[in-house]
Amino acid sequence: MHIMEGFLPWQWCVVWWIIALPCLMIGVWQLKKVLKADREVLPLLGVVGGFVFILSSLKLPSVTGSCSHPTGTGLSAISFGPWITAVICAIVLLFQSLFLAHGGLSVLGANIVSMGIVGPLVGYAVYRLLRDTSLNIYITVFLVTALADMFTSVTTSLELALAYPAETGGFTSSFILFMGIFAVTQVPLAIVEGVVLALVFKYIIALKPDILIRLGVFSEKQIETARSEC
Amino acid sequence: MAYKYRLEILAGIAIIAFCALFLYTSTTMSGAEFAGSDNVGSGLIAELSGKPVDSFTPLIPQYEPPSGEIESCLFALQAAFGGILIGGVFGFWLGPARRKPVE
Repeated sequence: MHIMEGFLPWQWCVVWWIIALPCLMIGVWQLKKVLKADREVLPLLGVVGGFVFILSSLKLPSVTGSCSHPTGTGLSAISFGPWITAVICAIVLLFQSLFLAHGGLSVLGANIVSMGIVGPLVGYAVYRLLRDTSLNIYITVFLVTALADMFTSVTTSLELALAYPAETGGFTSSFILFMGIFAVTQVPLAIVEGVVLALVFKYIIALKPDILIRLGVFSEKQIETARSEC
Repeated sequence: MAYKYRLEILAGIAIIAFCALFLYTSTTMSGAEFAGSDNVGSGLIAELSGKPVDSFTPLIPQYEPPSGEIESCLFALQAAFGGILIGGVFGFWLGPARRKPVE
């Protein structure tokens, strides 16, 4: 999902940085607040951050004949909300742009917006919609993680289509072309990521249900039901 | 028993199906190079803007891993860092839960 360094005109780099920076500031502020209120959430932050690290380094072949990587941002969006997720993603993306030439410092803003902000925001919205319904927790986690992953590549396509509208058909036709590359490749990866992260969530619930309850991620009753169900 | 582990079974099925799908497409699809979608995307940018791919130079100079091996080494480091974090925390949580009470 990365936009490569140099492939985005500087005007667009500035635009995406301007969008990304306030979100990162909210994230850092929230992170301080959460950690100050309860130090015991730190291990959970480590786990959800660890998944972003691992999954975004795994480039998996997809059915379309090209490779892409999952994002792993869904778990973090559920546990800590989209803004803290943006901070985690910024760290991962900074590492990749400094040492791996994947993305770059000028396009970092655009990449943070797609992987760290829009994806997790969509995931978080889905989570808020489904949280208070009677839907099984694991199905909620599956949908959130898969959609956060999908919308990351949709946003990348959008960013590129805005910068490079096609000569005929303009923005729409180039959006469709980029979607064909990024989003279609991502579909099978998003499904697998959703299932695997739902499984991970089961283990977190099994080991530390109290942290999730304290953070208000799911109610005590929902967690109890989930523990007895699976 | 199977009811208790149904999520594990589901995840297993999803991963196996994903691998099978990859094996199927990689043998039947001609022209599937399994290049990174980032590179394919860069190709499309070049096509749309009418400029060759090489003409896109970094706006801010950046370090490039000198070879594919070093790149994969750094990727493995990134994954290892995540793995250590996850393994460490799960161990940290699991330890007290499994500790036997002192008699």
